[in-house]
Amino acid sequence: MAEVNDFIAHIRSALGFSLENPRDPVQFPALFSSADTDEVLDRISSRTREDKQQLVVQFREQAAPLKLNVHEAAEFAGAAKIIDDIIRESSPEFSEAKEIILHDHPDIAALSLSNTGDAQIVHHITSPTNTAAREQTIASYIGITAPSWGVADTATVLQVTKTGLPRSTSLVPSIHIGVLRLENMLADLIELYAVLKQNPPDSSYVFISGPSKTADIESQLVHGAHGPKEMHVVVVDVSPE
Amino acid sequence: MSNFSAPSSYTEGARRGLADDTLQKNLQHLQNCYGRGAFEQWAGLADPDLRDKVKRRRMETLDNLDVVLSVLIDNVREKNGLVYCARTAEEAASYCLEVARKHSVKLVVKGKSMVSAEIGVDTLLQNEGIEVVETDLGEYIVQLRQEPPSHILGPSVHLNRRQVGRLFADKLGIEYSDDPPTLTKAARKALRHKLLHADMGITGCNIACAETGEISLVSNEGNIRMATTMPRVHVALMGLERVAATMEDHRDLLNLLTRAGALQKISTYISFNGGPSPVGDPDGPEEFHLVLIDNGRSKILADPEFREVLACIRCGACLNVCPVYGRIGGHAYKSIYSGPIGSVLTPLLYGINLHADLCKGESLCGACLDVCPVNNDLPRMLLALRNKLAYGDPGWQTTPHKPSEALAFKFWRMLVTKGARYRFALATCSLIQRPFIAENGMIAKLFGPAAAWTKDRDLPPLAKQSFRSRWQRRKKEQHSINGDEDDNGRGQ
Repeated sequence: MAEVNDFIAHIRSALGFSLENPRDPVQFPALFSSADTDEVLDRISSRTREDKQQLVVQFREQAAPLKLNVHEAAEFAGAAKIIDDIIRESSPEFSEAKEIILHDHPDIAALSLSNTGDAQIVHHITSPTNTAAREQTIASYIGITAPSWGVADTATVLQVTKTGLPRSTSLVPSIHIGVLRLENMLADLIELYAVLKQNPPDSSYVFISGPSKTADIESQLVHGAHGPKEMHVVVVDVSPE
Repeated sequence: MSNFSAPSSYTEGARRGLADDTLQKNLQHLQNCYGRGAFEQWAGLADPDLRDKVKRRRMETLDNLDVVLSVLIDNVREKNGLVYCARTAEEAASYCLEVARKHSVKLVVKGKSMVSAEIGVDTLLQNEGIEVVETDLGEYIVQLRQEPPSHILGPSVHLNRRQVGRLFADKLGIEYSDDPPTLTKAARKALRHKLLHADMGITGCNIACAETGEISLVSNEGNIRMATTMPRVHVALMGLERVAATMEDHRDLLNLLTRAGALQKISTYISFNGGPSPVGDPDGPEEFHLVLIDNGRSKILADPEFREVLACIRCGACLNVCPVYGRIGGHAYKSIYSGPIGSVLTPLLYGINLHADLCKGESLCGACLDVCPVNNDLPRMLLALRNKLAYGDPGWQTTPHKPSEALAFKFWRMLVTKGARYRFALATCSLIQRPFIAENGMIAKLFGPAAAWTKDRDLPPLAKQSFRSRWQRRKKEQHSINGDEDDNGRGQ
């Protein structure tokens, strides 16, 4: 503890303040103040279904150059069909067997994937009681998650870590599929930061905008560096008219 | 064994860089694409005042860094993260080793981190028998070649696909290919096992956020996410200036960072980590360590003339526009921090006298200031460093760099401050120079201390007639032709 205090005191003294007297953050409200986000949050909550569908159009436009595939589905049954097609048409990169790993999330459960898929395909769920989830994730070639929010302006999804929703599902498998509710589509990062401020996640989280990529050899863009080489976002309208 | 030998001096490094055709081609591409692109990004910003706003907040944060860091530390601890404050590079590296020993670490995977190179942690761990693997593709390539990175963002920018192809054929045992997708796939395969089975991940920190107690890491490859997800321990190394007070500041900084460095609205992954994973999770670290590193930064902070350089977010944009970096490449700077930012930072961190050539080598054209996302006035700081080299500064343990140069300038001042002396010198020199003028009308070779000037370029000779005497003659001639008319005209 002393070592941290000394370190801070040294910085304080470098800035020309007293070495002995710590400065209380409470005395510097301007330093930690941010613009009011109420207006942004109001804008989000007053958005209509049509507005959100328009945002999906923008999301799709932004996603194209990032090689992020965007699909739209009516209800979970429609999403399940799209995902089923992706599973059937793709093959594993690092193994022979077709294994997939699913987040333990109600929206993923609602897809009832194991009922629609091929019997040859092994499904794993990252439930808190699944002690083999790590090995199963490594063995899986597809990871399916339910991101909390989507951002149209940057074609980004927010993936929050929680018990039963581990980090590796959207990272280790070769293909990542995110199932995003239409109602959770935001316009831009300003809105995403406002939402994060309102509900700060209590664990780690990540903004994901497309499959992994690199341009480290002669600046040539190559998709599939160390994360997924392919990514899909399935936007589900859970209450279509 | 490595074929790389560090250049003996800046000049030698520059000469090597200029003679390297691959480097010249790659740097030209880099500057044409990323250099120009960054200016286009700024022209297209929705809020044209964003860079000014961000700079203001950066400076407010630095001016109150003690307060901001203490909030960051408290909030990381709140999330059960462990914080260590290192005054020096040695302290920081030793701490990493201590953590590695505690967890019986055999394999460390690294996310791209300049500060990890600054503290020399790799060697310390390797000497202990721990395998250390860089996982950013560019860093992995230069690690396999046992040479330092040559660009802040693109460590292997000095290499072409054939060199990488031969390297991978040799080190990874794959069939030779010069196809970037094939080579990337080979690295993906080779590094996957390491990333999945490492015991400890070491990363840097792009921007920490004090109010939330999180660090954020920006990557396109996914290697940093891997290195912070699969190993049991995550150690994040952070220069003490890399902190934003609020998430709003973070948002604005991120917006500028990804545009400036990679011309991206956003990078593929922006991950936020503040503590260990929840108990029972199949992945994420059991222990999260944040190492705050001073290593000379508080000294920079204490000097109002240079505090501004700590506003830097290491986007690398200044390298992409610098006419000097664009010719000589990163290795000439003999420091992990190259280009304009390196020319200010390296002397301040490691000694102004020791790295005297860096600030003198820059052209002061101002492109780095124009492109900098936080408007850092690097040219001003380069001049301030030159001033210290000219006159010495005990506060920075700097002695006058070249007393002979100072003497020469004293002599020059004596010559040019009196008209008669100056004219006499001109007349004398225009006589002396005659035998040195080559066929092309230029002075191609001088002797003694002046030889250095003509070693790499020709010197234009003094004009046969000085501007002053030409002006007087012209006035006289005009007067004799139009003298009366002029006089009449003025009188009307």
